Amino acid sequence: MKDLKFVTKILHCKFAKEDAHGSLHMPVYDNVTFEFKSAEDIELAFAGKKPSHMYSRISNPTVEHFEKKLKSVTNAIGVIALSSGMAAISNTIFAIASTGDNIITSKHLFGNTYSLFEQTLKDWGLATRYTDLTKVELVESLIDKKTRAIFLETITNPQLEVADIKALSRLARARGIPIIADTTMTPPYIFDSKEFGVDIEAISSTKWISGGATSVGGVIIDNGLYDWRKNSKLARDAAKYGPFAFLTKLRREVYRNLGACMAPHNAYLQSLGLETLAMRADAACSNTQKLAEFLEGQSKVRLVNHPGLKRSPYFKTAQKQFKEKPGAVLTFDLGSKQECFKFINGLKLIRRATNLHDNRTLVLHPASTIFCEYSPELKKDMGVRETLIRLSVGIEDTGDLIADIKQGLREIK
Amino acid sequence: MKIKVNGKDEILKQGSVSVEELLKIFKVESPDAVTVQLNGEFLKTSDFKKTGLKEGDVVDFLYLMGGGRCR
Repeated sequence: MKDLKFVTKILHCKFAKEDAHGSLHMPVYDNVTFEFKSAEDIELAFAGKKPSHMYSRISNPTVEHFEKKLKSVTNAIGVIALSSGMAAISNTIFAIASTGDNIITSKHLFGNTYSLFEQTLKDWGLATRYTDLTKVELVESLIDKKTRAIFLETITNPQLEVADIKALSRLARARGIPIIADTTMTPPYIFDSKEFGVDIEAISSTKWISGGATSVGGVIIDNGLYDWRKNSKLARDAAKYGPFAFLTKLRREVYRNLGACMAPHNAYLQSLGLETLAMRADAACSNTQKLAEFLEGQSKVRLVNHPGLKRSPYFKTAQKQFKEKPGAVLTFDLGSKQECFKFINGLKLIRRATNLHDNRTLVLHPASTIFCEYSPELKKDMGVRETLIRLSVGIEDTGDLIADIKQGLREIK
Repeated sequence: MKIKVNGKDEILKQGSVSVEELLKIFKVESPDAVTVQLNGEFLKTSDFKKTGLKEGDVVDFLYLMGGGRCR
């Protein structure tokens, strides 16, 4: 059948090889190595002339099936699964950039990503140029011959900023550099990255995709839009592998050598998670919208931030980019850090935990947790206020969440 | 018709065939996962059916394990 839709494609994605026992789910191949019938067969496999797995750090049937399922609902040329979202970002950067190069991004980044750029990669000689990605002219002024990518989060965390990705991709295309997007908050189903000109997606599949935090994982998706001959590090690979230069560089060098592979058991869990992604995203996005609107009417709440609110400066862009599903995270400000803590401690249903897109609603005070390593000045620069609370909204019944928030707010006198 | 497949000279008794037909003739494993290079250029999977082979063509089948293939 042709023209299958998102959920059907995922549920009915065929195995690469018929299962010996007719299993409906791809079994967990939790082994390390795979046997060959002859020396000639091993030679062919190593040369990429035979579709065989050799060693699970490089590829594995369960992991491959997860990659295949995800690929079936994108227009990508390839997907690689990794051990975490941070592995997806770091592997991508290591594949395309070298010492002396630079990338352009926003300071409004997930705290660990900022740390990766500002500490880990800085030590290896990669410069990160920070700007406001919602202003294309500022981005353009930072591009030079050593710029290897524009890196963005489709919805920044916790600022919930939304850049105009089509405008950025037009600029990137004109200047011959790729767009790398962390689409963790808006995975396939919510955001068609290829349509908006994103070259590479780096996702923490721990969040939405895993099924609501069942396991840690990451994915890299190559949409096949970028001409890798324009990247000095990949030019030689591009001459040999054409549009597959980036994926080949990863699979046969960077990903292989760094060893950030996804565990087969995690791939199994994440494959199951993918099957319900659409339903969970519908429920969580709907809950988020209702909670944001409810919080706007509460006198103790000073400011509510969610790109789904009509007064949000990112409302129109978010509606256009995310098919009217502008994520399932919202933030709001109370009067002080003390009020935030009283609210958080007063909750009886919503969990106090650091993650996004669990099936349960999670609450966090970002300034004292995921941004605790940064100075007050830097936190201010990053838009992380002491008065800010983040809710990652789950799929519970909306009324129960509103009732819990009401009792949390009652703790603030 | 003489062509070169994966570095070996081959004679196709069928005459001119498409890339899709060539995959069947050579009983290529996991045909939905194979990437095809024709005379050094990568083909999109969607072009396998409409791309005919001619005398002297050089075809390589390549597997980028883990989902790498043209659409």
